[in-house]
Amino acid sequence: MPGKRQTAPPPPPPPRRWTALLIRNTLLWLVPVAVAWWLATPIYNRVLLRSAAGILDLCEHPAVTDLPAKGDHDAYVVRRDFPPAHSLVYPFRVSDVHFHLLLLGALFLAVPGIPWRERLGNLAVAVLITFAYDVLLVVFIVESTYATHLGAWSLAHYGAFARNFYGLGKHLLDLPFKLALPLVLWCAFYLPRLRAASPPAAPEKA
Amino acid sequence: MSRKHPSKVSRSPSAPPPAGHPRAAGGGTGGPPSGPGFWRRNRREITFLALFLVLLGGSFTLISLNWINDHVIEPFTAGIARLSGAVLNLLGQHVALRGTVIQGPHFAVNIRNGCNGVEAMLIFLSAVLAFPASWRSRLTGLALGTLAIQAINLVRVVSLYLTGAYLPRFFDASHTVIWQSVVILCGVLLWVFWANRLPPRDEPAT
Repeated sequence: MPGKRQTAPPPPPPPRRWTALLIRNTLLWLVPVAVAWWLATPIYNRVLLRSAAGILDLCEHPAVTDLPAKGDHDAYVVRRDFPPAHSLVYPFRVSDVHFHLLLLGALFLAVPGIPWRERLGNLAVAVLITFAYDVLLVVFIVESTYATHLGAWSLAHYGAFARNFYGLGKHLLDLPFKLALPLVLWCAFYLPRLRAASPPAAPEKA
Repeated sequence: MSRKHPSKVSRSPSAPPPAGHPRAAGGGTGGPPSGPGFWRRNRREITFLALFLVLLGGSFTLISLNWINDHVIEPFTAGIARLSGAVLNLLGQHVALRGTVIQGPHFAVNIRNGCNGVEAMLIFLSAVLAFPASWRSRLTGLALGTLAIQAINLVRVVSLYLTGAYLPRFFDASHTVIWQSVVILCGVLLWVFWANRLPPRDEPAT
């Protein structure tokens, strides 16, 4: 009605338009999220390495693992109980552990038709879950290195079950579950909205 | 008790609620995951996510078996290498093929697991199979989605070769972060597009 003050939020987009907007927004958000990820990566890497080293310290008796950073994007697995010449047992690229944050950020920020407060709140929860996942992945990278990469030492200290457990665990965490985590988290928050954006079921014939 | 089942409300063919509306979204997405009706309200989402993770873990465990890798994945990857080599030769790159290696005058790439698009295909396949839909819709989605993912992966391999040959300092970031994210994101968005075109169903089809 002309002249009447509108207090209700703008109506959400129609169903098909919702999905088109989601896909377009995801592609548009990808570049800004990539820039933010690139800028935050050095800090995230250090927090990640410190947290994973803390978990490993809790699990090891005695605690012998260090995860020193090398530059902004890489790190070493170091064992303090090995001779100095052999203490550096494995280098790995920490930034490769968490590039799924790019997909997560783009997908969560792209959802149309919801308030920014809710959108950012959901993203924050998803990032926290992803961080916990990344810590677990670093722990598995270290343990699978110990179990499968150190030749005779690995065979002497890890049984067949442990070698397979850490090897397969690292494989699954580092590839499928890492790559699928953004989709899983997005579905956990927004699958009902996607279903609501689907076309209505056709009426049954009599 | 007068609480209505949200899914019944959102599936009403006569008056479907708009996409993104909290009612349509099954009671909102930001609420605490507790209460006696939590399972009932989110049964379909939980079932989908659990089935998705089981299919994902199972399929990646399957392709990690040596026999499957040697008899299915390696020949498939060699086929991708042949196709990519043909495209590169069309672009005047004068490359030769040795198994999964594309060898040019200045640069060579070895297409390995992680670069053959199988990860994105399996994520897409698991999501399509876990989503409640008819088998006809699933098979159509799988056929078209697989073709689309492999087309994108072909662009990825060709562009990675060209990046390595002409802009080698961008190769590492392009290889691990950018193209990996783009291919997985394409798989996710293809699934969103496919799922959005289906009328909602109660249970996963068997």
